[in-house]
Amino acid sequence: MSGATELSLERTIELADMVAYAGATWDWHRLHYDSAWLSERGLPAPVVDGQLFGALLAEMVLDWAGPEATLTALSFRFKNLVYAGETVRCAGRVTSVDGDLTTLDCTVEVVGEGARVAVAPARAEVRRP
Amino acid sequence: MTLLTDEVRALVGRTATYTAPEPLGRAAIRYFALATGDDNPAHLAGDVAPPTLVCETNQFVNLPRDENGFAGHGWDFHLPGTREVRGGNSYRFHRPVRPDDVVTATWTVTDVAERTTGSGAGMVVVTSLATYTDQAGELLVENEETLIYVEVQP
Repeated sequence: MSGATELSLERTIELADMVAYAGATWDWHRLHYDSAWLSERGLPAPVVDGQLFGALLAEMVLDWAGPEATLTALSFRFKNLVYAGETVRCAGRVTSVDGDLTTLDCTVEVVGEGARVAVAPARAEVRRP
Repeated sequence: MTLLTDEVRALVGRTATYTAPEPLGRAAIRYFALATGDDNPAHLAGDVAPPTLVCETNQFVNLPRDENGFAGHGWDFHLPGTREVRGGNSYRFHRPVRPDDVVTATWTVTDVAERTTGSGAGMVVVTSLATYTDQAGELLVENEETLIYVEVQP
């Protein structure tokens, strides 16, 4: 539909951000920081924890929906790994409004060199009183 | 040859429960907000947890680190000839989580299914449901998670 509400959030994820996220989630998996472990497995760089994209999508939707809103549902599927230092762009579009419930379709894409889809499809549902 | 062996089928119905040894706490909430670049004042103050925090943290689990450094919930399941990849998550948030909530996470394997990738490789999709409740038994969040075991082509 024309004039659909579009949301976006762009973030460069440095290794320091990944270390902070690993600490904050008590997740010390070597996949997210250990270069020797990664090269043994043919991975070019530390891999961003996919669930971080769930946090970014929640942040994007709640920033837009306002302080009185609550997120009621969020789902997402992973398409490609994202590596330390890459920039992702989260995007969302309102697809339905039913009373106080708003539904959005979302994606997360890597932008710049090596552009690709990181997360799709994704869907969020937010209650706005 | 099917990947859906008896051992794989036997995963269905397995459960695991973890209860946090302490309330979630303001510091845990503020740390997560800082780590994710979240500038929501209620999150930065530690008053309300960002929605995905409880599904993400291994704070409740109290397991030793494995050889990969991982100290979270798992089924200790390895399927020879495959590599494990994350499929995705589906969360339902029932009420906002606060610093004084003492969280219990209960995991159950709900389904295993055999599929074929776009390039023709076999794979097994393991679906689990985690429910998070507070100290009064009130439902906080449900988290359906899929792990995929993709056949490695020789």
